[in-house]
Amino acid sequence: MSTAPVLQITGLSGGYSLNKPVLHDIGLQVQPGEMVGLIGLNGAGKSTTMKHILGLMSPHKGEITVQGKTRSSDPEAYHGALSFVPESPLLYEEMTVREHVEFTARAYGVEQSDYESRSSRLAALFNMDDKMDTLSSHLSKGMKQKVMIMCAFVARPALYVIDEPFLGLDPLGIRSLLDFMLELKNTGASILLSSHILSTIENYCDRFIVLHRGKVIAQGTLAEMTAAAGLQGLNLEQLFYELVQGGK
Amino acid sequence: MDLKELRRQRRSRFMGGLIPYVGYIIQSGIAMVFLLVLIIFSAWYTSLLRDVPEGIPIRWIMLVLLLPAAAHSSFRTYLQSPDTIFLLPQGHRMKEYFAPAWTAGNVWKILRLAFVLITLWPLYIRTDDSHQMLLATFAVLILVKILASFGLWRELAMLSRPASAGYSLLRWAVSGLMIAAWLWQPPFRALIFIVILAAAYVAALAVPARLSVPWERLIATERNQGARALMILGWFVDVPGREQRVYPRRYLSKWGAGIAWRRSTAYRFLLTKSFARGDIFGIVIRIAVLALLLVWWNRESYIGSGIYLFFVLIMGVQLSALRKLHSESFWLTVYPLPEGSKASSTIQFIFRAHLLLAVLTALPFLTGIAGRPLPVIGTFLAGALLAYLFKSRASRKSAQDDDDI
Repeated sequence: MSTAPVLQITGLSGGYSLNKPVLHDIGLQVQPGEMVGLIGLNGAGKSTTMKHILGLMSPHKGEITVQGKTRSSDPEAYHGALSFVPESPLLYEEMTVREHVEFTARAYGVEQSDYESRSSRLAALFNMDDKMDTLSSHLSKGMKQKVMIMCAFVARPALYVIDEPFLGLDPLGIRSLLDFMLELKNTGASILLSSHILSTIENYCDRFIVLHRGKVIAQGTLAEMTAAAGLQGLNLEQLFYELVQGGK
Repeated sequence: MDLKELRRQRRSRFMGGLIPYVGYIIQSGIAMVFLLVLIIFSAWYTSLLRDVPEGIPIRWIMLVLLLPAAAHSSFRTYLQSPDTIFLLPQGHRMKEYFAPAWTAGNVWKILRLAFVLITLWPLYIRTDDSHQMLLATFAVLILVKILASFGLWRELAMLSRPASAGYSLLRWAVSGLMIAAWLWQPPFRALIFIVILAAAYVAALAVPARLSVPWERLIATERNQGARALMILGWFVDVPGREQRVYPRRYLSKWGAGIAWRRSTAYRFLLTKSFARGDIFGIVIRIAVLALLLVWWNRESYIGSGIYLFFVLIMGVQLSALRKLHSESFWLTVYPLPEGSKASSTIQFIFRAHLLLAVLTALPFLTGIAGRPLPVIGTFLAGALLAYLFKSRASRKSAQDDDDI
């Protein structure tokens, strides 16, 4: 297994205004086959970090590479190496579930036979078999979120950037998602996952990055972070509370 | 809360958003083309009035042109999604909010109706020996218009969507019958029929269960109305991408399935689906059907060629709106689509659709190709050339903008 990180962010500062950066000197990396939890309070900079990774915002300073490529040097390879699940579903009202998955597969250059097998499996996994030919505008919020997840997973890139994926999902959907993410991780895929449900991701993520007011205030495994903070024995939720309260 | 003031502010905000584009509309070439077409139409209509052909089916023409103007209704409520939370407690007072929408909607539609009627009137009185009185006709049309508006308002509030769709058909049928009765029957007999039919229609509207304020339906309708206003604006100037109204059209669900499985054609797949289920498809098909009818009617004259080219132009303008689709799509930024594939797919798609429509609408000319081969071939070539000119213009614009549309 290669040790070069799939995602590397170095000295990233950025935000909506040059005078008021939201992110300050962010540095993080995600290794192949690693699931990393990005956690922080509302407004800590998680979504802004993700927008920078996706190329929706340009860094004021610093560099982001995915599979060793920057967005400016090779945009197609950069975007082809990552897929994204947004916090709120963003769907084309004029397309059915099947067509969304197909469009994503076409855009990522997935072979047609692979698309067909992956699409069937994802539909079964997320209980969407009978909704595949339904227009997205006729789906519930949870189902729309499932479509987003199916689209991200049909592409099979090296890196998944997943923002609050559990919002709106039913318990079975959450379980299926977690299991599938583990399966992908075991095949070498990398996942950067943001969530407020710390008790859930504590058991699934290999490492965590704690963002607070646009800065990384801690990162590592739970044991490493509790040891560094001198707070051994705390679970992720307790540690997070101590870290952000301490930073007040 | 002053609900009337709230609607007024929203309306001002919407209109204020359009004002910056007015200058561009005046400058745009399409506006000049429309003006030219208007002048040509006026000249043609004046000559027609001077020498009206025998046996012209004027009552049918009146019915076909007056019915859409009378039966089609709409209201701008400017409602927004958050209103389901913030205005919900004002539900019992929403009549105050909707009253100006109702009034404005009717006033503008009545003016439109008056325009159509006054335009048709000289032809009507010259060709129909037992024509009705102008003011009485206008009064009847206003009655039909207000009844149709009331019907639409009730349709929007109906709990059952199928019932609403059924009543929409009923509105058109009732409006058509009333106008036909007025045009074909003596005034007194027509009025009795109209009054009885209106009473039956109003009684029928009272039957289906309905909501006091159909929030979600009104918000969706408002979104479509706003999008349509931007679409019309988009004929003249580049406006930001808009949402379009979506129709399931299951019979077209396989369209796009045969597109080559390549990354470079991924956007074509999306565009095909968007076109197949969007409002632009419906609009160009209606224009094409109208063009076919008029071209068939005038297929043996140069007027037919002129009408044909005018409709090819209009279809090109409509299809050009596809360039604005997905211009702000999130996924097109995130997905690894090959550079330039969006622009090239769009231009190719529009050109092929335009060319196909240009050929289809020219088919009636083929019946006369033996008698006048040169004009027929010339008309075909002119239609194809017009489609090509649209394509060249789109390519140039795309290159000038230096972006992927």
